[in-house]
Amino acid sequence: MSKAGRVSLKSIVKQHGAFTALHGIDLDIEPGEFFALLGPSGSGKTTTLRIVAGLEETSGGSVFIDGDDLTHTEPGDRDVAMVFQSYALYPHMNVFRNIAFPMQMVGTGKGEIDAAVREAARKVHIDHLLDRKPGQLSGGQQQRVALARAIVRKPRLFLLDEPLSNLDAKLRLETRGELKKLQRSLGVTTIYVTHDQEEAMTIADRMAVFMEGRIVQVGTPKSVFDRPATAEVANFIGSPPMNLINASYRDGVVNIGAYAMPSDCKLLGHLDVVVGIRPSAIRLGSTGIPARIDLIENLGDALLVDLRLGDDIIRAKVGADLQAAEGDTVLFSAEPAHIHLFAADTRQRLNA
Amino acid sequence: MKRGAIANAALIGVAGIFLTVWTFPVLWALLTSFKTERDVLAYPPTLFFTPTLGNYADVLFGATTILPNLISSFIVSTLTTIVTMGLAIPAAYALARLNLPARRAGGFYILATQMLPPVGLIIPYFLFLQKIGWLDSYKGMTLIYLTFSLPFAIWLLVSYFEDIPREMEEAALIDRAGRLRAFLYIVLPQVSGGLAVTVIFVFLNAWNEFLFAVVLGGNNVRQVTVAMFNFISVEQTMWAKLAAAAIVTMAPVLLLGLFAQRHIVKGLTVGAVKGGGRR
Repeated sequence: MSKAGRVSLKSIVKQHGAFTALHGIDLDIEPGEFFALLGPSGSGKTTTLRIVAGLEETSGGSVFIDGDDLTHTEPGDRDVAMVFQSYALYPHMNVFRNIAFPMQMVGTGKGEIDAAVREAARKVHIDHLLDRKPGQLSGGQQQRVALARAIVRKPRLFLLDEPLSNLDAKLRLETRGELKKLQRSLGVTTIYVTHDQEEAMTIADRMAVFMEGRIVQVGTPKSVFDRPATAEVANFIGSPPMNLINASYRDGVVNIGAYAMPSDCKLLGHLDVVVGIRPSAIRLGSTGIPARIDLIENLGDALLVDLRLGDDIIRAKVGADLQAAEGDTVLFSAEPAHIHLFAADTRQRLNA
Repeated sequence: MKRGAIANAALIGVAGIFLTVWTFPVLWALLTSFKTERDVLAYPPTLFFTPTLGNYADVLFGATTILPNLISSFIVSTLTTIVTMGLAIPAAYALARLNLPARRAGGFYILATQMLPPVGLIIPYFLFLQKIGWLDSYKGMTLIYLTFSLPFAIWLLVSYFEDIPREMEEAALIDRAGRLRAFLYIVLPQVSGGLAVTVIFVFLNAWNEFLFAVVLGGNNVRQVTVAMFNFISVEQTMWAKLAAAAIVTMAPVLLLGLFAQRHIVKGLTVGAVKGGGRR
């Protein structure tokens, strides 16, 4: 059987009564990709995943996997595996039977199941826990059992719904790396839902950013980070978030209040814009716009500086060698290439 | 330390009072069942007497045997339990899972049927069974018991089904189990405690039921509660035999309870285990 795992969503609409959860989702995911669905809660990313899984009916549109229209196919007939946020382990079965369950359901032979379960368990380092019940395991171990249950049957698609969100911070970082390595070694197309932009940035080959039931941007983490499509995406991706300042624009030059700032935008004309500058792109120095330092937060290897400019607070992430104190007035600037421009009305990106 | 000891003593004291109140009638019946009728009526009551098995012999194998009635009760109770569970399990599962518009109203209706005083229903039920010729029959008794046990069982089971996270079933669907096997292999084993509780309640209610049994039964279907009533007559009450019959009647239910207890405890602990794959 061909197990490419190419997913294609065509204008998927999902309505819950009068509320529209998804407004026509179009998405193509390539075989073997680690693809993240990223967005704030309620943006429709989990609904999209559940539609791919077949757990949720669509109100319109089609789901194609490897060219087959599976829009109305039962979840069990789609050859996909899923890891739930709560892991959804079967509490009355031991770990071995949990992992074996998807194979038993299609009548695989006993010897084959035994070998496959042990191999899957070994891959996620839980082969010593096969006799335990889920209730006797730690959260991290439960998460691995859920993963083993997904990989044991060698599906063409992994669907992961916030699989790391129930782990503590340290374990989350470890597991994130392991998950990435596991996916690489298996080469199975993976769709990964998360609201954590850092998680998506680090783990995904490509990602789709969801906002209010729409996909606003698809691309590699780097391209989304470097060239956010809207002011909202710009604000959502990156930590601390990008500074957004209302300004006016004329022929390549941004005017913030009385001060001018050159940008690399080639657009001609005069319009209202939102200027986006990442905290790390802000330079404090001898030229630029004057602003008063409201607060300095020490991050150890860097400082987070709150600059007050009129009613706006602009956050800058600068080196720890800053020679200024709270209350001082400093000059800030940014490279033209690091200045993002969005139309004030449509919030869409203006610079190329 | 001291406070703990006092609290413990108080707890044991209160438990002791409750235990006495509940066990006294049973112990009294147990003692009485081994007495002769003369000893029963002795005043002041005798604590030391020559025990006799005569009452049990009479009640089980003598002229006043209740064996056929025990069998009748067993048939009615078992039929009621089987039919109730057969209908209540799918009904409760559906109520727990589907977003039916009349769910809340339905739930209240089910509860309301439990509030109806049974006495008020005796005459309608009698006329109804008479019309369809089901008086004094096993199917008739079972049908009447269903009207009470089915709503009760559904109401009890719904909460057990609701406790099972949907995600667990969805996981089973994705694991290629299909609806039916997801229900049988994943959902049902996890409500086994609830099923045991429900079976006991339904069986017990039918087993101990007297009012409908005495009015709607007859010579064909005479349940043990009705037969026991015959030990009380206008001339005299045969306390010793009544007590022996009560003990005999209690025995199977007690066994059922002991057997199911393990399941109940197991069902309760599954949910209590830390994490347990549940949220």
